[in-house]
Amino acid sequence: MATIRANQLKAWEKRVDTGVHFMLGNYALVEGAISAGCNFFAGYPITPANEISERMSQRLPQVGGKFVQGEDELCSIFALAGASLAGGKVMTATASAGFNYMQEGLGYCYTIEAPVVVADVMRTRGDNFATYADVYQLRYGCSGDYEAIVVCPSSVQELYDYTIWAFNLAEKYRNPVIVMSEATIALMRERLEIPAADQIELFNRAYTSASPDDYLPFGAPAAGCPDFAPLGKGYHTIYSLNPHNEKGGIDWDPDDFERLYRRVCGKIRDNADEICRTERYMLDDADYAIITYGSEVRPAIEAMQMARESGIKVGVLKLCNIWPVPEKIIRETAVNVSKVFAVEMNMGRYVNEITRVVNGKCPVVPITKNRGQIHTSAEILREIQEEVK
Amino acid sequence: MLQYPQKITLCGFGGQGIILTAVMLGTAAVTKGGLYAVQTQSYGSEARGGQCQAELIIDTAPINSPVAEKKNLLVALFQSAYEKYIPTLAEDGVLVIDPQLVADLTHPVANTFAVPATQIAVDLGNRMAANMVVLGFLSECFGLLKEDALLEVVKTQVNPRFVELNTQAIKAGIAYAKDNNLYFHG
Repeated sequence: MATIRANQLKAWEKRVDTGVHFMLGNYALVEGAISAGCNFFAGYPITPANEISERMSQRLPQVGGKFVQGEDELCSIFALAGASLAGGKVMTATASAGFNYMQEGLGYCYTIEAPVVVADVMRTRGDNFATYADVYQLRYGCSGDYEAIVVCPSSVQELYDYTIWAFNLAEKYRNPVIVMSEATIALMRERLEIPAADQIELFNRAYTSASPDDYLPFGAPAAGCPDFAPLGKGYHTIYSLNPHNEKGGIDWDPDDFERLYRRVCGKIRDNADEICRTERYMLDDADYAIITYGSEVRPAIEAMQMARESGIKVGVLKLCNIWPVPEKIIRETAVNVSKVFAVEMNMGRYVNEITRVVNGKCPVVPITKNRGQIHTSAEILREIQEEVK
Repeated sequence: MLQYPQKITLCGFGGQGIILTAVMLGTAAVTKGGLYAVQTQSYGSEARGGQCQAELIIDTAPINSPVAEKKNLLVALFQSAYEKYIPTLAEDGVLVIDPQLVADLTHPVANTFAVPATQIAVDLGNRMAANMVVLGFLSECFGLLKEDALLEVVKTQVNPRFVELNTQAIKAGIAYAKDNNLYFHG
């Protein structure tokens, strides 16, 4: 794996628009991808993700990249797989209903260990109503044994920052990474500060030094990922969705394919502590903890401040990624409070993970809403006040 | 001078440039004023004629919740939009209207400013610039932004063909506040 800075990218002056902007969330996500070195995008139109395709179609030609509008989502995700295997840093964007269609291709990317970044700008069916109803789909949508990495920006700034993070994780672990956005932040304009290019750290996947004859396309340590050889350079690899051995040959021997699945899952599970990021707000003296993610973090922090003004000591644990589950910090948080509130924009999904991890250390109370808009701080506060009476 | 945070709704009908007005206010606040701003919007599926609203929060510190239940400032440029959003205005909030488009003030607000933006724009030669008249007026009346900052932002947000018209419209909005001594003192 090679670490570089964004100012070492080709056409970096055009890639990194350093300065303060007032930018649309979807555009900030694109700028993050371009700053991270993205050079291929394929996608199919769907609101509220369309501004991503629109801006990508303008930005990629400026930096020597390629933009493809697929004839559908399936085409787009498989085009990503091909471009990634050719050595590209690749991305697509879609929204809930479109993400459904991508599952076969996404499952292929997990199995062949292709680094791809997928932005899912979540919405309700049929309209641009904000929701986080699909948090489990992002983890379990595909068939097969794999682990997902899902990052959850809560602001326009984080749509930029976390997209760079997503590319770095995809390259580091040779795994698809999903940027979980939703209609509110995607269609919101906000302050965005793009740093100087030499301040942006990027990871590139490790390339093999082996000759084509000696190269093992799926050979790697137990919880690691294989070195990469791009298609078209004399390394003739079969990238199959079927069980395969280290050489890439289709292999139905249970000893071989179980070893493959253990490694493909292990490279994420065993590195969960390194992957997971969280932020703590006023938890040190808190009697109650809100655990939340994505745009819901925003009203949650405001509700925490309002609760404290009324004498209720609330803190917030912000999950910067929801998969893999930041188990260690959730557990540590639960030990020190008398109740956990899981704030979500759905009927109560991720609360199941939090409850599993908290494992009875304290009660976990869901605060849910699924009516097209993120919680207001007053709504969260009211539910907390009701619970702590 | 206004107290921050300022929670603003601009509403009217599609085609009036409601969202562009909010975007330009936000852009000027963030890139020229060193402030923080969050802008959200909703509009009907019609390209023109549907109801349209933009929300903008401006503050001196990073903004958490992007949605506010009550607003400090409501700018209404159409009767039906006024009627829909007037309940979201705080009791001590400020209302800005174009009296030609919002004629029936069913919910009187103590702090109301009537700006004949459409007429001023028509006099400048293009009624489509009414939103920029409003922008200039808001900036001057509330001390939100400096004239130079707004005029620089126009160049980055508007088709070059219309920069001159929009510049004139912003200046006319500022002049309307000055000439009539319309200033909000908080």
